[in-house]
Amino acid sequence: MKQISRRGVLLGSLAVPLLSMGRMARAQAGEVTISHYFTGELGLKAFNEQIAKFTEATGIAMKESPVGHEDFKTDILVRAAGNSLPDVFSYWAGARVQFIVDSNSLHPIDEMWGANGLDGIIAKPVADSATLYNGKRYLVPMNYHYAGMFYNVKVLADAGMTAPPASWDDFLALCETLKGKGVAPVALGSKNRWPAQFWFDYLLLRTAGPDYRARLMTGDAKYSDPEVAAALAMWKELFDKGYFVENANADDWTDASDKVARGEAAMTLMGTWITGYWNGNGLVPGQDYDFFEFPKIKDGVPNAAVGPVDGLVIAANAANVEGAEKFLAFMVSDAGVQAAWANAQGALSANVNVDPASYNAVMQKAAARVAAAEAFAFNYDLATPPPVAEVGLSMFTRFIDDPSQAEAILAQVATDAEAAFNE
Amino acid sequence: MEQHNRFWRIALLGLPLGLFGLFVVWPLFSSFYYSFTDWNGFDTNYSFVGFDNFAKIATDRLFLQAAINTTIWMAAAIILPTTLGLMLALLLDSRVAGARVFKSIFYLPICLSAVIVGQIWTWIYQPDWGLLNTIISQITGEKFKYAWLAKPDTALWSVIVAWSWQQTGLAMVIYLAGLTAIPGDLLEVCEIEGASPWQRFRRVVLPLLAPSTVVVVALSVINSLKGFDILYIMTGGGPFNSSDTLAMHMYNESFKKYLMGYGSAISVVLFLIALAIIGLYFRQLRKVDRIYG
Repeated sequence: MKQISRRGVLLGSLAVPLLSMGRMARAQAGEVTISHYFTGELGLKAFNEQIAKFTEATGIAMKESPVGHEDFKTDILVRAAGNSLPDVFSYWAGARVQFIVDSNSLHPIDEMWGANGLDGIIAKPVADSATLYNGKRYLVPMNYHYAGMFYNVKVLADAGMTAPPASWDDFLALCETLKGKGVAPVALGSKNRWPAQFWFDYLLLRTAGPDYRARLMTGDAKYSDPEVAAALAMWKELFDKGYFVENANADDWTDASDKVARGEAAMTLMGTWITGYWNGNGLVPGQDYDFFEFPKIKDGVPNAAVGPVDGLVIAANAANVEGAEKFLAFMVSDAGVQAAWANAQGALSANVNVDPASYNAVMQKAAARVAAAEAFAFNYDLATPPPVAEVGLSMFTRFIDDPSQAEAILAQVATDAEAAFNE
Repeated sequence: MEQHNRFWRIALLGLPLGLFGLFVVWPLFSSFYYSFTDWNGFDTNYSFVGFDNFAKIATDRLFLQAAINTTIWMAAAIILPTTLGLMLALLLDSRVAGARVFKSIFYLPICLSAVIVGQIWTWIYQPDWGLLNTIISQITGEKFKYAWLAKPDTALWSVIVAWSWQQTGLAMVIYLAGLTAIPGDLLEVCEIEGASPWQRFRRVVLPLLAPSTVVVVALSVINSLKGFDILYIMTGGGPFNSSDTLAMHMYNESFKKYLMGYGSAISVVLFLIALAIIGLYFRQLRKVDRIYG
């Protein structure tokens, strides 16, 4: 019996190294662990190249675990739940970072920010909107995107467009011309819901303004307000006039982009990542495709640009805080890294030292539009808390399925959103 | 010697039991624990909220929708593959030319992963160039562009069809095995006694296939409870939650809304439902065992 229990103890001891393997994997001296969602073929390659530059410059090794964009949202939560967050991870600036800051899961980087003079390196509008949470810095922006009306150059030239629509009426007239020529004016692929959000964002921003929109996103304004109803009514008008492709809820954003590329539809409201997708398919920026900013609707409303900011953050319980801070500082302040990364992603850099000439013609225009904008707003699902974003994203697809139900949908959303804000 | 055997018994059982405990029992009890909290998945500080999460379930519109969908899903997942599998088995059990080839073909979909089946059927249902709409357009002579997976009325049923297509092969194979166990002379006697084919099926074949039916139904129930992946691939619970099942709703609440406590409460309810079904199954199994030995 004695013998058995001794062996039992021995066997039990085998479990100890098994359980601690996870810890051992991350405890290599000096190493910084990172998880990120830059997993596209080009994105992963480019990110690894930038990591290699950091390791070469500092001698600090990075141990990375890339996870696909959508799966990342779940994966990082599972790792947080298991108290095994990597030292550094990529995350979307805005309400999602606010959520994990409020959960005490991030390490503030104010000291590192000051020591590296990031105030003079990161464009102020992006720094103000994306890096500050509860009065402290938590994130460095790796890149950001801008949502604009991307179009097929030939199709719009055939429709007689010589200059981007300067007003809402001009835009409606352009849509009418396109429809008359048998081309669907606007492609939308809202199967995964989020591509629809840019329509709601811009219609609300251009009519009610960025301040009202910010209040709606934080729950200080209500979905039962006339401002929201007015924005949805304008969107409904576009559906009623037949300006959107059929069955938008059946397509994803690449299907919609393909329809524009093939000339079946004229334009699509999408982020600048579409340039990476189109360039990869052999389209030439400025020649095959271009973009214009979402038209002005109401006088006196500040012009806002919409888009997401991809950032890097440090976990509160990071094993190697010093190495992690060095990594963040290097990745955001090295202009060479930022330029190479932004170009590979079809994105813009928030680093003011990146030469705009390093972008292609379309991205140069996008950078200029953001610079000229009076406000930079995160897209809907990054601007409002996740439980509310879920309510809103479902609202968009329900509305797209049957715009005639706009009023009933809004009434339901007003109730659901209020409950979600109280979660 | 006895001690030696006992050691090996414990050692060999220890590893699987340890893994089972680590990956099944512990998470299960964790879910029970978290279902009484307002944990958001990130924060190490959370409070106990008693039965609040369970009370919320009672008023959650989306939970009710998901519960209805789960009931439809399970009922259809039992009835369709079982009925179709039985029909195919009866057809192939009689002397049909090329029966072996047909058996292989019908069984093939079960070898595919749910992700691949989901993708194939997503293409079949594609509104612009999908196979289904193309066939309907050919028959009617008019361009048919219905978005099967994007309309709330048809999304769930479209996935059920894809699911049944995959699962029917499994039911067929089990029924075929059951049919071989029915003695041929018994059916011959029935024929001589003047029983019609329907009477032979209804009074002899179907009752003797009861053990197979129990297995097929049990597998269908278990597989349908696990049926998260194909829905996730084909509709993601959409459009606007119209094809959400309880498993999908639990996932959305936990991982998209970061309401881990509430998601855990849904998982507890789902667990209790599964437990009740499995309990019923074992009771039925014992009954069949008693009758057929």
